[in-house]
Amino acid sequence: MTQFLQQLINGLSIGSVYALMAVGYSLVYSIMNFSNFAHGGVIMLGAYFGYYYLTAAGLPFPAAFIGAALTTCLLAVIIERGAYKPLRERKAPFLYFIISAMGTSIFLENMVIATIGPTFRSYPEVLSRTPIQIGSVSVGRLDLTMFFISAICLALLVFFIDHTKMGKAIQATAYNIKASALMGINTDLVIIVVFALGGFFAGIAGVLFGMKYTVYPQIGIITNKSFIAAVFGGLGSLPGAVIGSILLGIIETITSGYFSSQYRDLIAFVLLIAVLVFKPSGLMGKVTEDKA
Amino acid sequence: MLKVENLNVYYGGIHALKGVSLNINKGEIVTIIGSNGAGKSTLLNTISGFLKYKEGTISYKEEKLPINPNKVVKLGICQVPEGRLVFANLTVEDNLMLGAYLRKDTKKIKEDLEKVYTLFPRLKERERQMAGTLSGGEQQMLAMGRGLMSDPELMLLDEPSLGLAPLLVQTVFDIILDIRKMDKTILLVEQNAYKALSIADRAYVLEQGRIKMEGSAKEIAENPLVQEAYLGAKV
Repeated sequence: MTQFLQQLINGLSIGSVYALMAVGYSLVYSIMNFSNFAHGGVIMLGAYFGYYYLTAAGLPFPAAFIGAALTTCLLAVIIERGAYKPLRERKAPFLYFIISAMGTSIFLENMVIATIGPTFRSYPEVLSRTPIQIGSVSVGRLDLTMFFISAICLALLVFFIDHTKMGKAIQATAYNIKASALMGINTDLVIIVVFALGGFFAGIAGVLFGMKYTVYPQIGIITNKSFIAAVFGGLGSLPGAVIGSILLGIIETITSGYFSSQYRDLIAFVLLIAVLVFKPSGLMGKVTEDKA
Repeated sequence: MLKVENLNVYYGGIHALKGVSLNINKGEIVTIIGSNGAGKSTLLNTISGFLKYKEGTISYKEEKLPINPNKVVKLGICQVPEGRLVFANLTVEDNLMLGAYLRKDTKKIKEDLEKVYTLFPRLKERERQMAGTLSGGEQQMLAMGRGLMSDPELMLLDEPSLGLAPLLVQTVFDIILDIRKMDKTILLVEQNAYKALSIADRAYVLEQGRIKMEGSAKEIAENPLVQEAYLGAKV
């Protein structure tokens, strides 16, 4: 029982960070109907920015943390302006957006390898490694921090989407971009906001993952799993992205805890394929013709 | 109020509007009748700022209309689109409030919301319901109410009676007359030519991207060619 609880808590903690990344995929998909694979690159850069703000710039942790998130927020908007807006203006098919996204992702990864280098870097010890004992369960301080920061971010996002004018505009635009424009909604601005939100959370997730693991150019691979979680939950649906991520996190940690961590990713991908076979729109996804 | 002159629009490689000219005066109901593919929706979408055009001009109150949907809304022209396009994932009230997206006059917005609810009591009953759960007729009312919430001077109605049961079709046309009483000018695009001509002041007949005829609604309704082509009369 203790072991199960332990794994459950680890799963929640990992899953909540997946959720932070997955909402970025989902927000963009809900409006633009394509999977923004450049998101992984942005998360990776978030991890690097956090690392350098802490080490080279010597900023205190909260400042480095927020700084990294703001930097990736800006970066995501720049990517939108540079890689996607020209395609939107030409009314390009969705496939072109994905190709552009993949190109951006490969570019970011190689830019880091070429300039910073391929070596692994580990974050300085910001949080003490001694776990906190809650009853018979011991929880890592970092795991706890990951969970709480992610939960706060997600709660703020939900509030923003449901209770602000811009949030309603995002929901309207996700439903129908033409009708939204007819309301006088500046849909171009909505797209910028969506990328900014995704980028901000990507930075936070990047720093948390950098602290949990290490920082390296291919850390974006991990973000593939948050994409899986978003598809699993239903791309385009925010609750779907969160539920999918938490489930994936728990399934992963339970698999590593009870079987072997080598089976972890295998299970994750089998899960994705199974969901796509039986319920192509995901657990809570909107039904669409082309999932690109 | 709105003046379209020699408008040429190409849409997906097709010359969709060929030298269209028309004008709408304040307080009028003007209808454009024409069959499927005549270019009616293209015309409305061009006025609304969705489509670029190379030749011709569209002016509103003596000024050139920008080719940008949210600026057009801001100037007081709102389109109620074909197929209603209500936000199915949001409540009725949210839909109506999105209609007032560009407005800042909170007090007047509240008043207008009450006006819309008076005009459409059904929407008041379903205020908290998701718009996707409404019937087709209710969705049409919501789409028109949402349009009114932008407090427009000119409303462009694209096929408001499309796909509705006959009884509801009559209701929709009655509502259009009510909306005119609220000091709105209306450009009505309809396939139901008979009904449209019965409430309009003036009419244009659009065929294959060209204005074939124009005149008072009465004249157009009595024209034998129109009767044969659009009103189902055997001549």
